[in-house]
Amino acid sequence: MNYKTDFANGTTTVEVTGRFTFGDHSSFRKLIEEVRGHGSSTLVLDISGVDFIDSAGLGMLLLARDEGEKSNTNVILRGAQGQVKRMLEVARFDTLFQLEN
Amino acid sequence: MPVGRDSRAKYLVAVPQTVAQQDLSKLVAGINLWDATEAAAKYISGQSPEDFSSQRRFSFCILPSQVGRDWLGSLIRLNCDTFVECFPELDLEDLAPLVGKKSLPKHDLLVCLSTRSAYHLPVARKFVTSLRHRGLIGDGVASSVEMAVQEAFANSLIHGNLELATGGHLSMDRFKELGEETERRLASRHHGARAIILTARRRKNGQVVITINDQGNGFSPPDANATAPISRKDTTFGRGLPLIRSLCHSVNFLRDGRTIELTFDDSQSTTALGDTAFLNDLETRLTTSPDALRIAQNATILIADDTLLSREIIASYLRADGFTNLVFAKDGEDAIAQIKTHNPDLIILDIIMPKLDGYAVCKAVRADPAYAKTPIIAQTALEENEGRTRIFDDGATDLILKPLNKAELIARTKIHLENRLLVQQLQAYQARTQSELELARNMQENLNPTPEHYRGVGMDYGMRISATFQMSSELGGDMWGLVPIDAHRLGVYIVDFAGHGLGAALNTFRLHSLIWSEQVDDQTPDVYLQRLNRHLKGLLPVGQYATMLYGIVDRQNNTFAYASAACTSPVLGNTATGEARYLDGSGVPLGVIRDARYETREVPFDRDSFLLLYSDALIETTLDNGQFLCEAGLLKMLQDTVLEGGRDIDLAAQIADQFMDRAPAKLDDDFTIVSLQAANIPSAG
Repeated sequence: MNYKTDFANGTTTVEVTGRFTFGDHSSFRKLIEEVRGHGSSTLVLDISGVDFIDSAGLGMLLLARDEGEKSNTNVILRGAQGQVKRMLEVARFDTLFQLEN
Repeated sequence: MPVGRDSRAKYLVAVPQTVAQQDLSKLVAGINLWDATEAAAKYISGQSPEDFSSQRRFSFCILPSQVGRDWLGSLIRLNCDTFVECFPELDLEDLAPLVGKKSLPKHDLLVCLSTRSAYHLPVARKFVTSLRHRGLIGDGVASSVEMAVQEAFANSLIHGNLELATGGHLSMDRFKELGEETERRLASRHHGARAIILTARRRKNGQVVITINDQGNGFSPPDANATAPISRKDTTFGRGLPLIRSLCHSVNFLRDGRTIELTFDDSQSTTALGDTAFLNDLETRLTTSPDALRIAQNATILIADDTLLSREIIASYLRADGFTNLVFAKDGEDAIAQIKTHNPDLIILDIIMPKLDGYAVCKAVRADPAYAKTPIIAQTALEENEGRTRIFDDGATDLILKPLNKAELIARTKIHLENRLLVQQLQAYQARTQSELELARNMQENLNPTPEHYRGVGMDYGMRISATFQMSSELGGDMWGLVPIDAHRLGVYIVDFAGHGLGAALNTFRLHSLIWSEQVDDQTPDVYLQRLNRHLKGLLPVGQYATMLYGIVDRQNNTFAYASAACTSPVLGNTATGEARYLDGSGVPLGVIRDARYETREVPFDRDSFLLLYSDALIETTLDNGQFLCEAGLLKMLQDTVLEGGRDIDLAAQIADQFMDRAPAKLDDDFTIVSLQAANIPSAG
């Protein structure tokens, strides 16, 4: 998993690409720490470039949501496609996150 | 370097160069790869999976300790079913029978890795790509299989071998702790050196069984019906089981939960009549080679009818017209038995029969490839449309109404026998063409440089050269090659003839001989393409053309000068930063106009440069997301690969591996990809 963050007008956008699976915990932790420093009111996780996610990856998305709740940050998942979209549907993430196309 | 001990080697073993002989000996002795009495193994070593010919069959492939993405790619590249990582602590304990020669049950693919290697690799993806390429699963089910394997694999690795508990609510602090503990355990001998084994095999009924085996403490699987929804507080870690169950036909746990067995139905191979015993008999049919039918009257005709009188009437009509090779069946089961014994050229089949009716006989006959083309004339008194359509649906060739009219019966018999005669001749012709195509394929593959050749040439010029070539299902028109000019300059070309099939292949042979009859010497790339085009225009029929790029890497002046005839845009990049850009690939295709002019373009090529040449299959194949690999997508893939792997990787091979993960198993067009990277090898010049 690779990511690129962008911070503008109180919104942090993170472009996540590649496979997002159990082995990505350290990159994900770095991501969260980086975003924490921004103090944004909205965090957009652009996952359109993620081509595969497993249940551990979903777990990390939930962590991002928990973090958001603590700091009053609205977490949005944007652009899920293919297998990722299917996984979000199976796990009923529409009830947990704001999903955008 | 290990060498062959016996020229009559029974086992061919692929071995990475980096594996030390003593480690290899220990591995081979320790895990009983083959019977000690038959220790006739021949070792072939290679620098990377690229070095092993896909035309050779290997009994085993050894993977180096700390397997990287390159060696994981061998799962697709090598003609081999068993891949075992050679790491010093490997102790298979009760897993050994899985890997050993006497393993039961037999596997179609087996991969054994250390936990510490497996943790960082996309193992599930590569395993599933490999199953697709072996035809064990279809492209359509691959996504579901991958999701299930990924979850099962993660479970076995994290909960099994690493013994990490991930249940309950996962806070950020706990997540951090867990991450650190993971790293510690991966580094430890106790956990990190445990083995994980993935196997796959295909059952006779078409189901594919995948097992994932670990060396942890095992666990008691939860109740299959416990499908609690994901709570808002609990993590999804370790929540994979319900997901796995939803993706598979069935899930079983063996070895006290240390083996998970997933069964998948491949929808493409399910037959409508699964439970009838005779079908299995048909499957293991007698392989009676169909004697060529030369004269219609010599044909063997089966008459299946439950009433003796009907059989006699039909027989008398046929005999009167010269058909004397008649066999009879008195019910449906008898019909199947007679078909297996006599392999008739034509079947006259009654629909209403005891034991097995005509519909079932039709289905059973058609389910067996050996009888897929045997003409069946169904005879029926049924007037209603429903039965008539149904018998055609079940595979009948023709229908004749009772009471039989003699002239009609004879006419229909003759027509279908003549058709069969033609079909058989056509099949014989196709079989011959097929074997000649096979030969042409081998010849075409041999036009491209071998790994030893291009690696050696690359070393001479201080470059690491990597290439992957995969021919489409038919013959294709791709070719590439290297042309050493002097101590500092190396020429390289890549060609793609329009279309594929025999015509395109013949054209590649033509062009290959032209390239090698032409003295390159000091010709600039534009002049070279101009001359080649003039020759080719004279040889090629109107409407046939090729795209080509010819370029010269000059290691002294640090340049790459090239001319392109409508070739795909080459990519020039930097190994240190991963940045890459497309070069201009425009130009008139070869063989279109006689006096085409080309342009030599020059770009810097220094000690950090890499160059990627490829055929259009790379960017014009529909991938698993329904789209082509876009321009930006290829650059991103190159950047990620270079940044992750550094400069000492086989770049083309790694891009090809990633492409194969997402492309259909059978490609419509030839796929060629070549990379030239400036390397830390002192130039000979």
